[in-house]
Amino acid sequence: MQQKPRAYEVQLAVIGSGLAGFAASIFALERGLSTAQVGNTGAVAYTTGYLDLLGYHPVTGQQMLHDPWQGLETLRRDEPGHPYALIRNDEIADAFHLFTRAVSDMGVNYSAPGENNLAALTPSGTFKPTLSVPLTMLPGVEAHRRAARTRIVDILGLKGFSAREVVANLQDSWPGLSAVTINFPGMESGSQVYPEVMARALQVPAERELFAQQLREVAGDAEYLGLPAIMGIHEPDAVHNDLERLSGLRLFEIPTMPPAVAGIRLREAFEQIFPERGLLLIPQQKVDRVTPEADGTTLRLKDSYGDVSIHAQAVILATGRFLSGGLEALRDGVREALLNLPVTQPEGREAWYRERYFDPRGHLVNRAGIEIDPQFRPLGRDGKPASKRLFAAGVILAHQDWIRQRCGAGIAIASAYKAVESAAAMLTRQT
Amino acid sequence: MTGTPVVDPIIDFRARAEELLPEGASYDACLSCGLCSSGCPASGLEGMNPRQFIRMAMLGMNEELSTTPWIWTCTQCQRCTYVCPMSIDIPALVGMARGAWPWEKKPKGIVRSCQAQLRFSSTSAMGLRSEDFIEIVDEIAAEVREQDDRFKRLNVPIDKQGARFFINQNSREPAVEPEELGPLWKIFDYVGADWTYASKGWAAENFCMFTGDAAAWEEMVRKRVDAVNELGCKVWVNTECGHSFYTIWKGIQRFGLEANFELGNLISYYAQWIREGRLPVNSEWNRDNLKFTIQDPCQLVRKSIGDPVASDLRYVARKLVGEENVIDMQPCRSANYCCGGGGGFLQAGMTENRRAYGKRKFDQIMATQADYVLTPCHNCHSQMEDIGEHYGGHYRVVHYWTLICLSLGILGENERKYLGPDLAEIGLQS
Repeated sequence: MQQKPRAYEVQLAVIGSGLAGFAASIFALERGLSTAQVGNTGAVAYTTGYLDLLGYHPVTGQQMLHDPWQGLETLRRDEPGHPYALIRNDEIADAFHLFTRAVSDMGVNYSAPGENNLAALTPSGTFKPTLSVPLTMLPGVEAHRRAARTRIVDILGLKGFSAREVVANLQDSWPGLSAVTINFPGMESGSQVYPEVMARALQVPAERELFAQQLREVAGDAEYLGLPAIMGIHEPDAVHNDLERLSGLRLFEIPTMPPAVAGIRLREAFEQIFPERGLLLIPQQKVDRVTPEADGTTLRLKDSYGDVSIHAQAVILATGRFLSGGLEALRDGVREALLNLPVTQPEGREAWYRERYFDPRGHLVNRAGIEIDPQFRPLGRDGKPASKRLFAAGVILAHQDWIRQRCGAGIAIASAYKAVESAAAMLTRQT
Repeated sequence: MTGTPVVDPIIDFRARAEELLPEGASYDACLSCGLCSSGCPASGLEGMNPRQFIRMAMLGMNEELSTTPWIWTCTQCQRCTYVCPMSIDIPALVGMARGAWPWEKKPKGIVRSCQAQLRFSSTSAMGLRSEDFIEIVDEIAAEVREQDDRFKRLNVPIDKQGARFFINQNSREPAVEPEELGPLWKIFDYVGADWTYASKGWAAENFCMFTGDAAAWEEMVRKRVDAVNELGCKVWVNTECGHSFYTIWKGIQRFGLEANFELGNLISYYAQWIREGRLPVNSEWNRDNLKFTIQDPCQLVRKSIGDPVASDLRYVARKLVGEENVIDMQPCRSANYCCGGGGGFLQAGMTENRRAYGKRKFDQIMATQADYVLTPCHNCHSQMEDIGEHYGGHYRVVHYWTLICLSLGILGENERKYLGPDLAEIGLQS
């Protein structure tokens, strides 16, 4: 069979489709760079939807940071190797504003990143400190702050979200809280129901009317109803507003366990809007090989239709950690999977984990990753940039513990911002 | 379908699944996150879902997997694979399970269609023989020439040696609605395409692939590839039928067939001809700003060409009905849901399951509030019409060729069966 090879020429190629990869593409498009993005479904599908900047520092203190910007200053002093040490607060703020504005333009509105962390609800009825939340979730922060009369609603057949559990964990600090279980209209069979399926159904005006009726019937004297995140996938704010209008209640969403809609919203918005804006997006595929050449770098991969090659002047590596395949844990150590870049890591496997899982000092392997210079260029074994064309972003970077520090989204967005800035500067110098 | 089959030999699903894994992947890394099941319209039918299927495979529950009728409700649309962080190919396992069912236990509608295809050189699943096909084509071509002076020299070549395009044909038109043949011929005539049908191997559909019988699938594709090779055509092009593209493209690779031609898809040619100014379509006819949404056929988009053809579907639609009148359904492009018409589901006789599956497509369409759904796929077309009627939707479903001809003012009065009263009179020659 004669099949034409597909070869593309771009200024910038982004490898990875997690939050860092998507953020890099947003910043690159803002700068007018011709861009390609390749990467298997990133962990973006697993996100709560909250965009954390810095929740805890020092982590051992276990005290939520009220002012993350102040926390960043302390962090830079205490951990000079942390990726945040290479990015100024004003740059981070710019990156967050650009990112949340771009995502809001794509139909998923976010609260403007502010001075302080918000205390955002988790599905188990605890709080996490975060900087920016989807507007569908924001009224929950406010209801809690006001300790308003609120009813948490769960749905028969939905796994991993229990209104009773949320209430049990919060009732001491939030006396006006109660729980109720409802059936989702048309899904009363008692078999498993998925947030994604309910969210899709609520895109339909007629289904919203039925659901709002259901909500009115169980609201009692509550001022707010807290629902699992199911209020639409595409342009959820319109669904949210319409349900509030129909029910006459204040409604908010609480993130659910994966497979959850908050991440699906982001991924689908990116996947749909990027190609419309001229970005070459090859989702769900991994780059097989990266070949440096005199006049650029060639990425090779296979998608379901066959071979693809992308020739780029600059490349951003945003391949994530172990789950996404950016790092590999082997018998003899941690390896960077695509380019075999040196990985800073503990000496020997026995040093990866501490004895106790909840050791307040954390586990050393979580701080493993690749080293970069101030231009966010990964370093080779000689300690010099591996290539003038290669940049890196996201949690693949060493010297951070994003899960415990609650800074995953912040590192992704801010480092993508810096990596794109450096790549753009290199491209300008070149021409 | 009747009862539970006795399958012999029972497949070792775990072993087969291991063979299918992409390099470096591992089932140990499956987090059981459930993105596959969450995004699958067949989840919950027959008490099964994709996550459960793969976990049961890992647990060695081969007998259960070899006998669950769920495999006939899975359309093998590959959406689960698409959203899986590990790219685990559950539909390939479903295909194996289908293949292992005894013929007498497989859904009769799929089996009968495949048998018809194997019987005749036409490869038509509706049992249309070549001589009948030629007769119908001649008759309809004469009608088109008679009805519209602009096409009085319309030629519908059959077996034209060395023609550039080899066009396949879904059996539905010649067998059931021959008046629907005309629009595509007019488009070819309009752009001056050098094309031909063939007297053998012309049919588009391949139900043998849906039976899971690889040998029957191969035989179908081989006959068609031979027909194109014999005529020496440069490009094989599918009609507006999704799986006709996938079956030949995948089949050529899978069975290592020698194909001395390129594979093209009709939608991308529409797009190219519009860009080149050879199909000067416009949206002026859409005076009422009727809204249109697009169904991406899984077999053509997600399973085969991917984003480039999804973009062409939208480019052509926007030119045809006006930029602001195309409302994408959500999700769309490669992430779109299967409608539930593919994989042989429409022919499998499992109506209740098929409609339950189609509810998600119905919701997608209703959310757009579109008046029409545009799709270049016969199975999508039939399924979306059926669920629309079943669940009380008021949309209509149309082929691209209908709107192209409507826009060019060359759509005949008898070629409008899928248009509503709102468009019945538009552009008719007085």
